[in-house]
Amino acid sequence: MVHLVGSLRKELVDSLSTCKVLVVGAGGIGCELLKNLVLTGFKNIEVIDLDTIDVSNLNRQFLFQKKHVGKSKAQVAKDSALQFCPTANITAYHDSVMNPDYNVEFFRKFMLVMNALDNRAARNHVNRMCLAADIPLIESGTAGYLGQVAVIKKGMTECYECQPKPTQKTFPGCTIRNTPSEPIHCIVWAKYLFNQLFGEEDADQEVSPDTADPEAAWNPEETAARATASEKDGDIKRVSTKEWARSTGYDAVKLFNKLFKDDIMYLLTMDKLWKKRKAPTPLDWQQLEDSVCPEEQTAGSGLKDQQVLGVWGYCQLFRHSVETLRSQLQEKGEGAELVWDKDDTPAMDFVTAAANLRMHIFSMNMKSRFDVKSMAGNIIPASPTTNAIIAGLIVLEGLKILSGELESCRTIFLNKCPSLRKKLLVPCILDPPRPNCYVCASKPEVTVKLDVHKTTVLSLQDRILKERFGMVAPDVQIEDGKGTILISSEEGETEANNNKFLADFGIRNGSRLQSDDFLQDYTLLINVLHTEELERDVEFEVVGEAPDKAPPPQAKQEEVNSITNGNKDSAQPSTSSKASANDDDDIMIVDSDEEEGASSGSAGASSGVKRKHSDTETGETSSKRPRTGISSATETTADEDDDDIIALD
Amino acid sequence: MIEKEDAVISEEEAAQYDRQIRLWGLDAQKRLRGSRVLLVGLGGLGAEVAKNLILAGVKALTLLDHEQVSEESCRAQFLVPVTAQGQNRAQASLERAQNLNPMVEVHADTNRVEDKPDDFFLQFDTTSTFCSLKDALEVDWTSEKAKAGLKKTPVDYFLLHVMLKFRTDKGRDPDPQSFAEDSQLLRQIRDDVLEALSVSGDLLNDDFISYCFSEMSPVCAVMGGVLGQEVVKALSQRDAPHRNFFFFDARKGNGIVDYFGPN
Repeated sequence: MVHLVGSLRKELVDSLSTCKVLVVGAGGIGCELLKNLVLTGFKNIEVIDLDTIDVSNLNRQFLFQKKHVGKSKAQVAKDSALQFCPTANITAYHDSVMNPDYNVEFFRKFMLVMNALDNRAARNHVNRMCLAADIPLIESGTAGYLGQVAVIKKGMTECYECQPKPTQKTFPGCTIRNTPSEPIHCIVWAKYLFNQLFGEEDADQEVSPDTADPEAAWNPEETAARATASEKDGDIKRVSTKEWARSTGYDAVKLFNKLFKDDIMYLLTMDKLWKKRKAPTPLDWQQLEDSVCPEEQTAGSGLKDQQVLGVWGYCQLFRHSVETLRSQLQEKGEGAELVWDKDDTPAMDFVTAAANLRMHIFSMNMKSRFDVKSMAGNIIPASPTTNAIIAGLIVLEGLKILSGELESCRTIFLNKCPSLRKKLLVPCILDPPRPNCYVCASKPEVTVKLDVHKTTVLSLQDRILKERFGMVAPDVQIEDGKGTILISSEEGETEANNNKFLADFGIRNGSRLQSDDFLQDYTLLINVLHTEELERDVEFEVVGEAPDKAPPPQAKQEEVNSITNGNKDSAQPSTSSKASANDDDDIMIVDSDEEEGASSGSAGASSGVKRKHSDTETGETSSKRPRTGISSATETTADEDDDDIIALD
Repeated sequence: MIEKEDAVISEEEAAQYDRQIRLWGLDAQKRLRGSRVLLVGLGGLGAEVAKNLILAGVKALTLLDHEQVSEESCRAQFLVPVTAQGQNRAQASLERAQNLNPMVEVHADTNRVEDKPDDFFLQFDTTSTFCSLKDALEVDWTSEKAKAGLKKTPVDYFLLHVMLKFRTDKGRDPDPQSFAEDSQLLRQIRDDVLEALSVSGDLLNDDFISYCFSEMSPVCAVMGGVLGQEVVKALSQRDAPHRNFFFFDARKGNGIVDYFGPN
C-alpha cells in the first residue's frame, strides 16, 4: 500500500524536503509560485529578483502590501512566504541573476530552476546557465488571460533559444524624425527626446529632422549633397541637443518653439516628403497662449489619466514637466543624467506631452496619458488569476521532474476560451532539441551578414553579441592563425578597439570569430559574410532568419495578443543590455482567437507563427503558418519580442 | 443587486488596479467594486478563490465556513496561520485575507450554510447558473447520443459522481486517518456508480483513490484561478462564462470545459 502524505507519495515528499530549488523572479508568477512551493512541501528555496515593489504590483503580487512599496521584492516575498511555513528555508537575493556571482557552480546546487521573469535577456541567460549546469528549467510566461509553461532539459528538449524568436520591430530613423504616421512613432520620438535632453544621449536616438532622408531628395545626387551639407553646416548643428538646451537654461518655451515650430518648418522645406502625405502644421507657443479660452472642466466619470487634453493642455504639461525635470537634473549635479521610467511622474508627463504635441502636428488624434503610458512603457495587462493558474502548473511539472518522470512533462498553454476540443489548458509534448540551435547544439555556429568597413568592434560587442546573441560578457578571438584578441571581457583591456572597424583587423568575407561567454559556458562561432547591401538602418543580419516584413494578407482574420518577452523601458528598438527590471509579468506569446478588449492599450496585434505540436491526446499536429509582421499600433518601441505562437488543436 | 457604481474611481484604486483595468476595462472594474460576494468553504480551494477575488477588488467578501482548522488545512490553505488549529476556519482566515487588500470589506461567518435563511443570500450578487448540479449529473448514459459522447467525456466527471456519493453517505470527505476503510468504500462506490450509469467499470481504474484524500496546493491554485476568473466574469458582466463544468487533470495537464445538463 502506497504511503501517502497528503496526496503525495512519501518518497516524493522526502525528496521535496531535501532538494534545493531556485525561483528566478518574485513578481506576478514568482509570488504565486513561492506560495505553492512552500505549501506543497518544498523546504529549501532560493529566490532572486533585482526589483523593488511598486503600487501597481499589488493587484496580483499578493505577498506584498501597501506598506512594502519601495522594498526589495525578493526579501519581502521571502518574509511573507515564511509565514505560511515557518520551517521552510528561504534565501532571498536582491540582485540580478545575470551577475557573475551566480555562476555554473551556483546553479549546480539546485535540483530544479523555475523562471518567473519578464524579459528575454534574463531568460536567455538562465537558459544557458541551466544548460551549462545541466539542471532542469521550467519556463513560464503570462500576458492578460493567456499563459504558458514549458520544461527545458538539456539533451532531451528544446532549449529556450532553439526556436528563433522574432527580433524586435524597429522603426526607420526617418519615420521617427521626419514622417511619423502613427502615434507610436511620436511616442518613440518623445522617449528619444527625453534621453537627448535629460538622459544618456545616443547617436541612434536623433530627434532632429533627418536631412539625409532618401525620400526627401528629388534625385540621388541631392541626397548626397544634403548629407554633406548637414555635416558641414556650422557649429550649431554639431552642438548636441542637450548642450543646446542647457545653453537656453532648459527654457520650456524656447524648447517648444524649436521642436514644434522651427524643426517642423524645416521639415516643410523638404517638400518631396509632403507630395503624397499630409504636411505637418507647426505650432507657435505665443499664438496658442493668446487663443486659449477657458475650457469647461469636465469631471469625467473615468480616470483622470484616461482623459485627452487639448493642445494647450499638453503645452502646459510640457512646460511643467520640463521645469520639474530641469530641477531634478540640477539637484543631481554636474554631468547628471536621468533615466526614463514610466512610473516617474514628470518623465511620463514629458513623454505624454511631447508625443501628443507631435501627434497633433502630424494630424493624428491625441492620446490619453493612460494610453501613452501603455505604449511607452510596454505595459502588459495582468490579472491575479492567470498567474495563479500558471504557477500551479509550474509546481505540478516540477513534481513530475522530481519524481523522475521527465517523459510525462509537457508544454501547457492556457487559453482564454476553450479550444475546439474543449480544452482550456492544452498540454503538448515537448520537442527534442533543434540540431542547429545556436545555443544548445554541440558546436554552435551562425553566419552574420554585415559590412566589415562600417561595423565597429563596439557594435559587434553590444549589438550583435550582447543584444542579439544574449551574451553578457563576451570574449572574442579572430580565427586568423594568430588568435588575435578582438574583445576581452576584462574591463579596459580592449577598449582601444571599440571604435575601430572590423576591417581594420583584417576581418573580411569568410572570416571566423570565436566568441565565448565564460560565465554562461557558451562558445559561439560566427562566420562573417561581408556585404555592402543591407537595408537602411539595418546594421547586420543573421543568415537563415527572415527579417521582419509586412504581413501578407491573410484569408482568416485572427486576432492575436501581442505580448512581449521583454519589458525594458529603453526607447531603443532593440533590447537594452542595461538592467531595468520593470514590473509586469512574464509573458510569452500564445495564439488566441479572442480579441483583447479592455480600455485601449491592449488591442490585439496580428502576428502569428504556428509550430508543429502534437496535442497529447490526439497526436494531431498543425502546420506552420508563415511568420507575419507585427502590427505597429500597439506594439511599443523597444523590447517587444514575440515568441512563437503555438498551435492549439 | 450590484450597487450603483460610484462616478469616480479613486486615484489609489486606479494606481493599484492599473494592470487589470488595462485588461478588462474601467467599467468592469467599477462593477467589481460594487459587488458583494459570499464564499462558502475555506479549504485550499476556497482560500485561493478568496485571494483572487480580494485582489480583484470586489466591494465585500463574506467567508462562510463552519469547519475547524485541522492539520490538513495547513497543507493547501495559506490564509490560516499555523498556530490556528482548533479555531473556526473562516475566522482564522480573516486577518490575512483582509491584509491582501484593505479596500475590500472582508467578513467571517461561522455558521453552516444549510442553516442560513433564504433572505441571507439576497444581500449578495447572484451568479446565474445554467442548471442545478443535480440535473447536470443526471445524464442518461444509455441513449445512443450519450454513448457516442462518452469517449470524449472527461473521466473526472465520473469521479465527481463518486465523490459526491461518498460525501452524501458518510457526511464527510475521505480522510487520510481512515485511509484503508475509506479506500475500500470508494472502490465500492465507484463500482456502484458506474453500474448505475450503465457505463463500463474500466472507465475509472483504482488509481483514482489516492487522489481523493486531500487537497494539493498547486491543484487548488489552478482551480482557484479558473473559478476566480469565472466569478470576475460574472460580476463584471464581461466575457462569456465557461459552460458549465471545468475539469482539471493534473497528471496530464488537461483542463477541459464541458457541458452537462438538460439538452
